This record gives sequence, structure tokens and C-alpha cells, in this order.
Amino acid sequence: MSQTADPRYDRINFIILIAPAMLLLVVFLVLPMASVFRASFYPGTTAIGSSGFSLNQYYKFFADSFYLSVLMETVVYAIITSVGCLLLGFPVGYSLARLPPAKRRVRMILIIVPLTLSLVVVVFGWLVLLGRQGLANNILIGLGLTNTPKQLLFNRSAVLVVLVQQFLPFMILSVMNVVLQIDPVLEQASTSLRARRLKTFAKIVIPLAAPGIISGFTLIFVMTASAFVTPRLIGGPRTHMIGGLVYDEVLITFNWPFGAAMSFILLAVGLGILATVSALIVRPLARGLHVR
Amino acid sequence: MSVDLHDRLLSVIGALVRWLVYAMLLLPAIIVVATSLTPGTTLTFPPPGISLRWYIAAWESSLFMNALGLSLKLAALATVCSLVIGLAATFALDRHAFRGRDLIQSFLLSPLLIPTVVLGLGLIQFFVWIGLNQTFAGLLLGHIVITLPYVVRTLTASMVLFDRNLEQAAMSLRATPTTVIRTITIPLLLPGIISAMVFAFVTSFGNVTLSIFLSYEDKITLPVHVLTYVEQNYDPLVAAVSSIVIFVTVLTIFLADRLSGSKPVI
Repeated sequence: MSQTADPRYDRINFIILIAPAMLLLVVFLVLPMASVFRASFYPGTTAIGSSGFSLNQYYKFFADSFYLSVLMETVVYAIITSVGCLLLGFPVGYSLARLPPAKRRVRMILIIVPLTLSLVVVVFGWLVLLGRQGLANNILIGLGLTNTPKQLLFNRSAVLVVLVQQFLPFMILSVMNVVLQIDPVLEQASTSLRARRLKTFAKIVIPLAAPGIISGFTLIFVMTASAFVTPRLIGGPRTHMIGGLVYDEVLITFNWPFGAAMSFILLAVGLGILATVSALIVRPLARGLHVR
Repeated sequence: MSVDLHDRLLSVIGALVRWLVYAMLLLPAIIVVATSLTPGTTLTFPPPGISLRWYIAAWESSLFMNALGLSLKLAALATVCSLVIGLAATFALDRHAFRGRDLIQSFLLSPLLIPTVVLGLGLIQFFVWIGLNQTFAGLLLGHIVITLPYVVRTLTASMVLFDRNLEQAAMSLRATPTTVIRTITIPLLLPGIISAMVFAFVTSFGNVTLSIFLSYEDKITLPVHVLTYVEQNYDPLVAAVSSIVIFVTVLTIFLADRLSGSKPVI
């Protein structure tokens, strides 16, 4: 349509079409984020009607070994979950991309339903599954591995399993989308040159799929780092993650300035780690492709 | 093709991982539906029998049914708003090449990358300042922000595949721009539009992490109700309610898949 209209009309058209989305995000995303940033520098414990500028909230966080250990633990959870999703999600995403479209369609629904299903329902399902009378315990008893039901919930591994399960579809879809763009001929060429599959993966598929791996990894890292429903329900009261602490400050103790400071520490640490991962691991991987 | 031991081992491992992943992904939902059918009063798997008593209990619980109504209404409104806003923006970006286009596109996708606890705190605080705190409008606006990236991402993908020659052919036959949009552009984009709507609807319907910050008094969405209920009680009623959430999600995706005809929706 652009070729029939004169450029000025065209530009007005463009602005009218893009304006609502930009306005929505500037007002209800950028301004709220800016207000959180501002609130993190309030000296007191309330954000409403506050004024002044101080680094109190940040001091409070970094002076307390409890908060530092929770931050560390959150980062560890996020790294393990992202790596776990990558290890389990890559083979599935790859095989989906190499399936004929008709077969892919059915399996895609099996991926999309868990992806879009409400998080509480998923977490509740795991509560039942790992509960004292749940399937997992019945299997353990049936196999004779234990006589009495074991406490499978409220520990770290349970939290990690549930986090990996809930974010896996994101990795599968990101990997599938990039692998769809890799020409299978490249892999066939590598095979015909008698390269083993593993070598083909390492030299061809993984470097070419790097953008999808990065985007899946980033998304999962961010989502795990700020998770609070899963650690709360599956991990129980002794499992602490930053997301849960922010949630408590916002809705239970109403100390918004401190919640705001923790939010930005979380964002900064997350971005820092992602930048490091991308510079140290992913870039060299992608670069390996250009070496003859 | 030479298939040696290594490759065979690799393909066996690959198949195992795939089975594990599909089982892991589907198990929670299957368990929830299975336990909701129990005639007893405890959550056990497998259930000792089959009965619909907990569905009747859910139906009679005005608390859960009001929340279901609210969630459906919220998801429908958020879907329509975010589709209109997202379709306009994606269309504009698709048809205009200029420097900074990728930047705007990433900006439109950015709500996906903002931790919801942080966005939740931001919105609640901002709404207090502008007087939208604890209003339905606030809840809806929050949901539009988080559904928009799904709409933009899905529509962008479907516009890449769009054959613009068809529009030019119509125009060369002297069709007016409105006719071209109505008879060529929209029908061709329909599968993309449907799948964008599905994503927006189910994302909004199932959301708990943002809703928990924006829900209030009688405007508490179904997932938030389930969450608060699970924290205090542990009975098959919540399994029945969760199953209703599963049915709504699966039905939406299934219907959309049928509606879009031969073209894959997702």
C-alpha cells in the first residue's frame, strides 16, 4: 500500500498505527519501572508520600548475609534450571523441527498446553504427584524402595524439577524455531563426510542454533530468578528466593522501597550474569562456525 | 550412511529424553484431572473410583464460579485490546522499513523479559499514584501489557510469510485499499490472528504472578483464588477447579487449531 500513498500520508499512517502500543508500554511499563527505580532510593519504609534520596535500602541488602545468601541461592537455582531446560529441551526442539509438519502439529499441542496452562494448576499437580499419597510415593512403595511414604516435597530438588518442567516449553520452542531455519543439507553433508552425529551437532547444529539457545536461556533465567509461586508452594517456608522476598515486601510488609531495591539488584545481577554467559560461552560457540 | 555405535547410542538417548520430557510436561495436568474425579475426600492417585461430586461442589461454590466468570471476562477483554493494539503495531512495523525498527520491535516484546514481581510492584505503585489501584481497569491494563508480546511475536512471524504480491495483484485490478485489506490481507493473516488471540487469551486466563498484585476484594481471578486456597486447604475441590482451568485452556487451543483449517495455528 505504501507505493500508492505519498510519503507524508504514509508517515502519519505509521504513527497512528504504532502509537497505541508505544503509549501503552511507555505509560504502563516504562513509567512503573521508573517509579520502582525511584522508590528504591527512598530512605524510609513507605513509598507513598515519601521524598528524599538515600542508599539505605541497598545498604540494608548488602549488609545482611541473609539477603546475600538468598541472592546467591536464587542465581544458582536460575543457572541450574536454565541448563536443565537446555539439556532436556534441545533434543526435543531439534526433533520437532525435523519432523514432517503434520506430525509436528500434534506434538506442538502437547508442548503448548503445558506452556499456557496456569502456573498454579501445574504447581498443584506436582503437589499431588509428590504428595504422601501421590503417584511418586506409590511407585516407590510398589517397587519396594521404601515402606513408608517419603517426604518428597519441600526440598531443593523438588523445586528444581518443577521449575525445569514449567519453563521447558520455552526452550523447546526457541530451539525448534532456529533449527527450522537450518538447512538439513548441511547435516547430510557432514554425515556423508563420515562425521559422527555428535560431531555434526557440535560443529554445525549447535553453533547455528546459538541464537535460539541464547533467547531460551535468557528467558528462562529471568523467569526462574523472579519465580515466587513455585518456591513458595513446592519449596515450603525454608526455601528462599529473591522473587518471594520481593513479593513479601510488596504485599505482606508493604515495605515498597526495600522491595524496589531488591528488584533492581535482581535485575542488575541477572543482566550481568547473562552478559557474562553470552560473552564467555555462547559467542565463542557461534564463532567456531566461521573457522574453516 | 554409516551408522556406528556412537550414533545409535545418541539416538537412543535422544528418544529417552523426548519420552521423559513429554511425560514430565503432561503428568501434572493428567494427575490433576484424575484426582478431581475421586469420590473420596482426599487427594490420591490413582483415585479409588469415579464421581463428579467435586465438580458439583465447584459449581455450587459461588466464590470459585464468580472468579471463573471474572477470569473469562478479563481474558476476553485483554485479548481484544491487545490484539487491536498489537495488530496495528505489527502491521506498521512490517510495512515500514526504517532504522530503529528492530529496537521498537524488541521494546514491544520487552514485557516478556521483565520479571513479573518487578512489574507487579511497579504497576501497583504507579496505580496508587494515578488513582487506578484496586480497579478493574488497572487489572485489565496489566493483562494487556503482558499479553501484548505474545500477540506481537505471533503476528510478526505470520507476516514474514505473507505474500505481498497478492495485495499488489488486487490493487492492479483497481481494488480500493479497504477492499484489499478486507478481502486479501485479513483473510491471509487469519491463522496468525487466531493463534495470537489464543496465546493472549490463555496467557491472561492462567496468569497468577501479575494478577496476585492487581487482584482485590471481589475482583480476584481464578488462578489467584486457587493459589490462596491451596495454601490453606488440600482437598479434591481445588483439583476440580484446576481441572476446569485445564479444560478451558485445552478447549481454547483445540478450537483454534480446528478453526484455522489446514494451516497450523502454532
